[in-house]
Amino acid sequence: MTSPPRSLRFAALSITATMLAPLAIAFPALAAPLSKDEVTKMVATIDDRQQNAGDYRSIAYLEQKERGKADTAFEVAFYRRDSDDKLMILFTKPKTEAGKGYLRLDKNLFFYDPTVGKWERRTERERIGGTSSNRQDFDESRLSEEYDATWVAEEKLGKVAVHHLALTAKDGVDVAYPTVDVYVDMASGNILKRQDKALSGKLLRTTYYPKWSKLYSESKKSDVYFPAEIRIYDEVEKGNSSLIVIRETDLRPLDANLFTKAWLESKSR
Amino acid sequence: MLTLRIAFNNLLASRRRTLFLGIALFVVTFLFVVLLALTAGVTDNLVKAATNISSGHVNIGGYYKSSPTDSQTIVLNVSKLKVEAKEILGDEAVRIIDRFRGWGKVISDNGTVQVGLNGVDYAEEADLFSLLTLAPAKDYMENPADPDAVKGSFAELGQPGTLVLFASQAKRLKVDVGDEIVLRTETLKGASNTAQARVVAVARDLGLLSSFASFVPKQTIVDLYQFKPDVSGVIQIYLRDIEGSTAAMNKLRAGLDERGYAQLEHDGQPFFIKLLQTVPQEDWTGAKLDVTTWEDEASFLTQIIVALRAVSFALILVLAVVIIVGITNTMTIAVRERTKEIGTLRAIGMRRGRVLSLFLIEAVILGVLASGIGGLGGAAVAMLVDAAQIRIDVDAMRVVLLSDTLHLVPRVIDVVVAIVTLTVVCAFAAFFPSLRAARITPVTAMQSAE
Repeated sequence: MTSPPRSLRFAALSITATMLAPLAIAFPALAAPLSKDEVTKMVATIDDRQQNAGDYRSIAYLEQKERGKADTAFEVAFYRRDSDDKLMILFTKPKTEAGKGYLRLDKNLFFYDPTVGKWERRTERERIGGTSSNRQDFDESRLSEEYDATWVAEEKLGKVAVHHLALTAKDGVDVAYPTVDVYVDMASGNILKRQDKALSGKLLRTTYYPKWSKLYSESKKSDVYFPAEIRIYDEVEKGNSSLIVIRETDLRPLDANLFTKAWLESKSR
Repeated sequence: MLTLRIAFNNLLASRRRTLFLGIALFVVTFLFVVLLALTAGVTDNLVKAATNISSGHVNIGGYYKSSPTDSQTIVLNVSKLKVEAKEILGDEAVRIIDRFRGWGKVISDNGTVQVGLNGVDYAEEADLFSLLTLAPAKDYMENPADPDAVKGSFAELGQPGTLVLFASQAKRLKVDVGDEIVLRTETLKGASNTAQARVVAVARDLGLLSSFASFVPKQTIVDLYQFKPDVSGVIQIYLRDIEGSTAAMNKLRAGLDERGYAQLEHDGQPFFIKLLQTVPQEDWTGAKLDVTTWEDEASFLTQIIVALRAVSFALILVLAVVIIVGITNTMTIAVRERTKEIGTLRAIGMRRGRVLSLFLIEAVILGVLASGIGGLGGAAVAMLVDAAQIRIDVDAMRVVLLSDTLHLVPRVIDVVVAIVTLTVVCAFAAFFPSLRAARITPVTAMQSAE
């Protein structure tokens, strides 16, 4: 039996490759699936790298672009005490917004407006300062606590190889987005992209984390990672986007009474 | 009778003066009636808007609090409550329906509005929708091919995934009938949720209330909020006579109390004020009912009517003062001019009281005739303006007048009130000059003649 001519073999190989290519794209997971344990560990590591055993303070610059409206910009100082799950966001600029703030206590988010002198309870979906950012964008990462994760695929984000994970909110946990897709840099272990979806499955917003920084924490005795820049794009109200630039991060202990309503009220007196 | 004839002849004798005063009285009465018709029209718009968009004549609303600081507008066991409401009110209640009360964003490719999402069953509410009117394209589109074309149908709200907007919202969203939009809100547990919907009709604006209301099928709200069965937002009860709403509310409250339902104390504010301000500050958890009337739910709008009445009153007061000064002056001059005549009448035996009544009757005849013609003229013009359906193009005016067309309702009682008021004002203005005339003695009259 004679072997087929070389040109015929090449043609056969090309046809086979062309037929299999869509399968490879459709089922990339077949390439190197991660086990449930590996995914859980990956998400726990993402949380752990961002958590600090002690306190956390940063200045954030927020810029909001909204269709049909003038751009707005704010500067906020945000404080975290991860051991107690406490978070404080204090608006410092512009003058008209200075003194307003958010305080998270025992899974409740409160908003304070000094012009009316009242505290109001807000939901997890609260748009911080009217921007596309939520509480979770400033708070410590709690992905493993709030979501169950499954591995979807190994993908490319530009030139960067990433793990695509699908997260589903755990029963009884109050989160703004019931399902989330995250894209984790295989090399650094940082999240590069996050897609938040509604209960209906509709994509609501895409967040990019193009820059990450780290700082050595004395209390944790290891590095704490934090995104230096966050870009949020509203996928429903196209044209709305937010930019958050985080700077002046400080991991030294904060005042013991900082996470109180009285402290925030005192800032506008 | 003789006095009446003399008074009438006097009015005819001084035609110029009578005409001048008559025109002044006519104008004021005319304005008064038109302003009253406008106020009645706005009140009519308010009742129509409130009882179509946000309320029944009487409502059984409810609040559910999973924690003391939480608050949701939910009525549990709706089927049972509807039956019990019918038992309590009997034949007085002609229609009992329930609606879901939602709040969220309506997002199109070109805009976003935050509106109330009324989850309705079209089959149950077809009669109410017959009171709404489809908006012409010019009301919400820029340069439409056919400005007067009306598209869509409210009846399509009976299909799933549909939405009815008001013209002002469609204008901001830049959508037309048939366009797809996204509804975005959060579930009771705070999770973001969305639904797709197709605009099936655009209704004409009904003022402020319609700026914040839209209609979707009940199932859309159930899906968006993840409601359980036999739950709703409010039970709306329509009565045989809307005037009986307060009595019906009290009867319902007592009846529900007897049946052991926990209720909020009556607070004459709309539900959204309670939802956002009052209820979250109360220290209780669980479910409570809240029985209200349409006037409670539209109480923030009654201020418009109060303001309109105040403006009408102030305007009429100013004009009345002008009239009083004018009549008093004119009558004083008339008395001086007619001193000789008064002296003669007094000399032939006419008593002071008759002289007084002679001048007063002159003023009353003038008042009745001029304000009568003014009142009837005002009512006729108000009817014509209302029939002409004059469009209001200024948004602020639409908000205040609660309609997109000028609506005036001239009422017989208002015309009568205007005529009587202006006649009394006229008589009052003439009283002091008449008193002066009555005090003239024949001697004084003769001296004056010399």
